[in-house]
Amino acid sequence: MTSGFAAEQGGDRRREFRRMLIASGIGHGVLLMGLLVSVPGSRSFVSPSVIHVDLIAPPAASRAARPAAVAKPAPKPVQKQVVLPEKPSLPKPKPAAAKREEVVIEPKVAEDKSLDDLLAEFRAEQGEPAPSEKVAAQPPVTVPGGAGIPVSAEVLAWIHRVKLRVTGAWIVPAGFRRQSLRTEVVVSIDASGIVRGAPRIVRRSGNPWYDEGVVRGIEKASPLPAPPEPGEWTFIFASDESY
Amino acid sequence: MIQLAALGAAVLGVGAARAQTGERVPVLVTPGAERAYRIAVQRFFDAVAPDDPSIASFRVAILEALEYSSAFSRIEEDAYLEDSLTSPPFEESDTIVCSNWGQIGTDVLLQGEIVRDAAQIGVAFRVWDITRCRDLLRRRYTQSSDVKPIEVARRIADDVVEAFLGVRGVSSTEIAFVSDRSGSKEIFVMDADGSRQRAATANRSINAFPDWSPAGDAILYTSYRYENRPYLFLSSRGQIEPGRLLPQLGDDRSQLRGVFDPAGERIALVMSEPGGASDIYTVLRNGHRLRRLTNSSAIEVSPTWSPDGERLAFVSDRSGTPQIFLADADGGNPSRLTFTGDYNTHPVWSPDGMWIAYETRVDGQFDIWLIDPDGNVNVPLVTHPRSDEAPSWAPNSRKLVFSSTRRGNADIYVVDRDGSNLRRLTQGSGNNTSPAWGPLPR
Repeated sequence: MTSGFAAEQGGDRRREFRRMLIASGIGHGVLLMGLLVSVPGSRSFVSPSVIHVDLIAPPAASRAARPAAVAKPAPKPVQKQVVLPEKPSLPKPKPAAAKREEVVIEPKVAEDKSLDDLLAEFRAEQGEPAPSEKVAAQPPVTVPGGAGIPVSAEVLAWIHRVKLRVTGAWIVPAGFRRQSLRTEVVVSIDASGIVRGAPRIVRRSGNPWYDEGVVRGIEKASPLPAPPEPGEWTFIFASDESY
Repeated sequence: MIQLAALGAAVLGVGAARAQTGERVPVLVTPGAERAYRIAVQRFFDAVAPDDPSIASFRVAILEALEYSSAFSRIEEDAYLEDSLTSPPFEESDTIVCSNWGQIGTDVLLQGEIVRDAAQIGVAFRVWDITRCRDLLRRRYTQSSDVKPIEVARRIADDVVEAFLGVRGVSSTEIAFVSDRSGSKEIFVMDADGSRQRAATANRSINAFPDWSPAGDAILYTSYRYENRPYLFLSSRGQIEPGRLLPQLGDDRSQLRGVFDPAGERIALVMSEPGGASDIYTVLRNGHRLRRLTNSSAIEVSPTWSPDGERLAFVSDRSGTPQIFLADADGGNPSRLTFTGDYNTHPVWSPDGMWIAYETRVDGQFDIWLIDPDGNVNVPLVTHPRSDEAPSWAPNSRKLVFSSTRRGNADIYVVDRDGSNLRRLTQGSGNNTSPAWGPLPR
């Protein structure tokens, strides 16, 4: 009995399910027809970016006038080698739709300038020189030989690259190695990395020929990677790793 | 605009960047792999014999002497963007196109001119620092025409080394050593690069432990040529009388070894009474003022002077095993220097005073180590499964010469003070041992 009652109830449910299935099929058919009819008009919303990028992009001349390094959206390979603690990085250039929103807010500005231009303007207003390259925003860290001075990730990346450059140019004959020689020089570096004037020795090693070699190495390494800030930077040349 | 400013500040972290602009971190640089200046040498201009093949060989001799210093490596003529011959008039020309030399990686340019007449040869040369595009050195030598061109070439190379390192190159120096190639142990002399090997003694006895006079005009050595017992002798050139050196000390005591002090006036002497152990003495070169520095039953050998002549290092087994000791030149204030290893011997003090090189025995073979006179730093210089022995410093303290059995027979090798640029100087039959590096020419 139990099984016959169950079969009876099952027959009613099957009928009800058929009705619902038919109704659902009709509904889906109506929706499909509607979509097919609306396709030509909807394509402009599926991929609007190409059109809008063209609309708000600055003229070619204006783009060339910007600092090229600032305009680069991706970090250089050297920066990738720098090990940085996990922190949110600078946002990548926003998609065109987002830029279009800004155009709506400030239509006059958006006609000529991209977000990069605006950020560069902001830097200028704040008295900040344009960075040579974008790096991830990081909390300051310290470096060996840095006397505990906190260093931003941007400076850290530049130090890494400038050390590679100077080490490759600085010739240290065998006779100067295995000696505890140390020379400190102040180097004037312009925004493009060119060493301006003769490096100034502020602490001598006691061996004038070693000091001369240090100055020679700095001058040979010029131009250096563009610094985070132009001006005077101190270099310490230690003849061994014991420093 | 305020919104944009807030956006920019958040994105750039300007606040953090600002905090550090007051004080910039210094950039610390340590040496990389670059050890040698790349030098281009133009052939010297010679108005009398512009096509003489000796001009090209003179250039090669300069380059070889420069490379011997380990501080320079050559740029071949094929790479030059400028003429491979120095342009006349050499003396009046004050400019070069530095960019053309810099483009091929030149750090240093050497150019010069040879002026000949019947009796003399004049050589003028100039060294350019290409990095800074300025001349670093100008010099002119005039000498009699019988001077060998290779000697002039080496002198020029040693000048260039001095201009860049502050110490003279040693390509013009000589090395004395002991060789049994002729069937008996004789003293030989060769140029610092191993060329021109020639005998300084030929007495068919046993001759050992050569040591140069500071002026380079004599070699002090131990010989068994007299009564088949060890006494000190002098081999000389110029005005110095050769022969037995200290006959005033008599024949009873064996004179095992002598070493000139840096002034050339005194000799540190290893001497032993009949049947007794050896001790260290000092004595004037004329045999006067003999002073005994050590007085014990221990064996004391291998004295070496500090560069100022105020102290001596020597070997003593007074502590049970041979170790290096230091003492004042009058024997006062003795102190033990080496404490590692159970057999340390043959100390030699570097001319700049910074290091004492010595032999230490490891697994029955000897290696050469460096220790500073305070005993704070003790590092290996050359190690090999075969024996490396008898180190001697170059007069500029940048290189050492030693003997090694690493190829079977003992041969003479040179090495830079940091253990690099090992180079063999002798080859062929026989054993070559006990090298002694001569002084800079005067």
